[in-house]
Amino acid sequence: MDLFFQLLANGLVTGTFYALSALGLTLVFGLMRVVNFAHGELYVIGGLLGWALTAVLGWNYFLTLLVVILVLGVGGYLIDQVLIARVRGQGEEPTILLTIGLSIFIANTALLIVGTTPVTVASPFASKPLFLGPVVITQARLMLVGVCAVLIGGANLLIQRTTLGRAMRATFQDTMAAQLVGIRTAHIYGLTFALGAILAGAAGMLLGSIYVVEPTIGGVISLKAFVVFILGGMGSFAGAIVGGLILGVAEALWGGYVATGYVDAIGFALVILTLLVRPYGLFSKRAERA
Amino acid sequence: MLKACLSIAATSIIMVATAAQAQETIKIGLIQPLTGSVAYNGKTDVNGATLAVDARNAKGGVMGKKIDLVVEDGQCRPAESVNAAEKLIQRDKVVGLIGAFCSSATLAIMPVAQSNKIPFITGVSSAPSLTEKGNSWFFRATETDALLAKSFAGILVNQLKLKKVAYIGVNDDFGRGSVEEFEKQMTALGATTVMKEYFEHGTTDFYTLLTKLKASGADGAFVSAETQDGSTFVKQKAELGLETKVFGVGSWATADFMKLAGAAANGIYAAVPYASTMKTPKNEAFVKAYEEQYKVAPGKYSAAGYNTLHILVDAIARAGSTDPDKVREALHKTNYDGPNGHFEFDDKGQATGFTVVLVQLENGVPNVTASNTIGH
Repeated sequence: MDLFFQLLANGLVTGTFYALSALGLTLVFGLMRVVNFAHGELYVIGGLLGWALTAVLGWNYFLTLLVVILVLGVGGYLIDQVLIARVRGQGEEPTILLTIGLSIFIANTALLIVGTTPVTVASPFASKPLFLGPVVITQARLMLVGVCAVLIGGANLLIQRTTLGRAMRATFQDTMAAQLVGIRTAHIYGLTFALGAILAGAAGMLLGSIYVVEPTIGGVISLKAFVVFILGGMGSFAGAIVGGLILGVAEALWGGYVATGYVDAIGFALVILTLLVRPYGLFSKRAERA
Repeated sequence: MLKACLSIAATSIIMVATAAQAQETIKIGLIQPLTGSVAYNGKTDVNGATLAVDARNAKGGVMGKKIDLVVEDGQCRPAESVNAAEKLIQRDKVVGLIGAFCSSATLAIMPVAQSNKIPFITGVSSAPSLTEKGNSWFFRATETDALLAKSFAGILVNQLKLKKVAYIGVNDDFGRGSVEEFEKQMTALGATTVMKEYFEHGTTDFYTLLTKLKASGADGAFVSAETQDGSTFVKQKAELGLETKVFGVGSWATADFMKLAGAAANGIYAAVPYASTMKTPKNEAFVKAYEEQYKVAPGKYSAAGYNTLHILVDAIARAGSTDPDKVREALHKTNYDGPNGHFEFDDKGQATGFTVVLVQLENGVPNVTASNTIGH
């Protein structure tokens, strides 16, 4: 039984991390209908920037997190205004090709600058074991779960409760009506993409302190994020969180009781099952768009 | 994903190579993973090979011509590696091929080298079956899992007193091959297997695996993994407070492994064909030159790149020609002294005569605790 609790705890922790890594992707799709294939690479930028500032320059961890959020926010806004704006309204394929191109560009630029050596973000939290009854966890992971919860909650509040969030939702429900009531929609597109980029970058920086980051890891991150994204219902905020937790726990239990060798297959088996049974995901919002 | 593009690093090397084409050169093709989860290891192999090329060119190259190393990214995948080999053979007209790192990728290139009659050397791929294929164009200048297992299983069982052993490997032919070989050898010596598990390349979270390891009651864990996966594994093992002894194969005795794993690397045993602390004059010179160039101590793949390049160039020099048949004949007469001992090839193309070592990692230094020469 102890084994079960430990596996469940492991699964919930990685599930939270999966949720955070997928949130930016699901948000950008849910609001903008843009499938961002460069999501994993934005994660990589966050992680590498976090490493450069904390481990190389010795900056404070939370100050670095703020800088990462700022840089990715500005960067995300510019990516939307300079690149995505050019193909807006031309259907889905040009955006997909654009973001795939962007992902290749970012990964190889990072490879050129940082090289292939895996790096880690310097964390102020201890990685010593912490015993909670039969379950072992580290302080660093426990703290990260907390920070993830705050970020996820903050993003949700921003979208649901603020004027900016209402403007975002209005823009993507009916762009013309939003323009008629005075919303600067071009600006809103940029800010939404910036929010997605911030969530991706913050995830990279936070998870970079317990895992490793390297320029070509973006593909793996995107792949997991897509599993969570489809599992939870494309574009659903609550779905991303539940999808992440389901994936984390399913992988942990399968790995723990069956075999760790084929654990990556679980996520995709779940995706196939979801697409067969509930093609719009667990938390579908089919009537969201006018 | 759709990232089958070349890394910029490789492309720029090729561009430099094309620029140098004006004068006639002897071209050697090197295929290593430059992107993906073993990209880091592939890069150190390229570094070792580049160091050897620079040294040879500084002495006038071979047959009066400069050596031109053409590097391609094989991504450790069979399909990409075959593409790279085809490109190197058809377009660059290389006289010999080195590489492919992962055994599965090397295996895929072997028939390509054979049908094009191009000598092909690997310094990394350790799946025993490769030299059993009867491919006369293929040479392996490194140990196999079986040779490594035979060398060290006795020491692990008798000196470390391991009775219950857990076997953990990366889920590819390298990981599965070395797990099988070590299990076979150690079981024959009286150890019992309490767990056998695999994980994917690029796994970030080993908590599930470690939870199982803890529950298995093993007193020693055999792990076959490369730098990134291995360092994450031992770091998370320390996080969970597990005391199980770990001994590994893969790139464990490297400066970067110990830097990434930090204090968690202390006390770990690694069976490797090369450690920068090996005490031979050749090695001391190699370490000095490598550190001067790259500011870091060489690892086993740096030595692999360095050795394979020298072995191939030696063969071309001995043959006095770039004719593939003559180079192949010359390769069979290899008599090379590298940083980690002496290399010659047997009839199957497997190298013998070099040294493998068991090291224990302590505060960033791989201390050699046992060594063994691979016999004929």
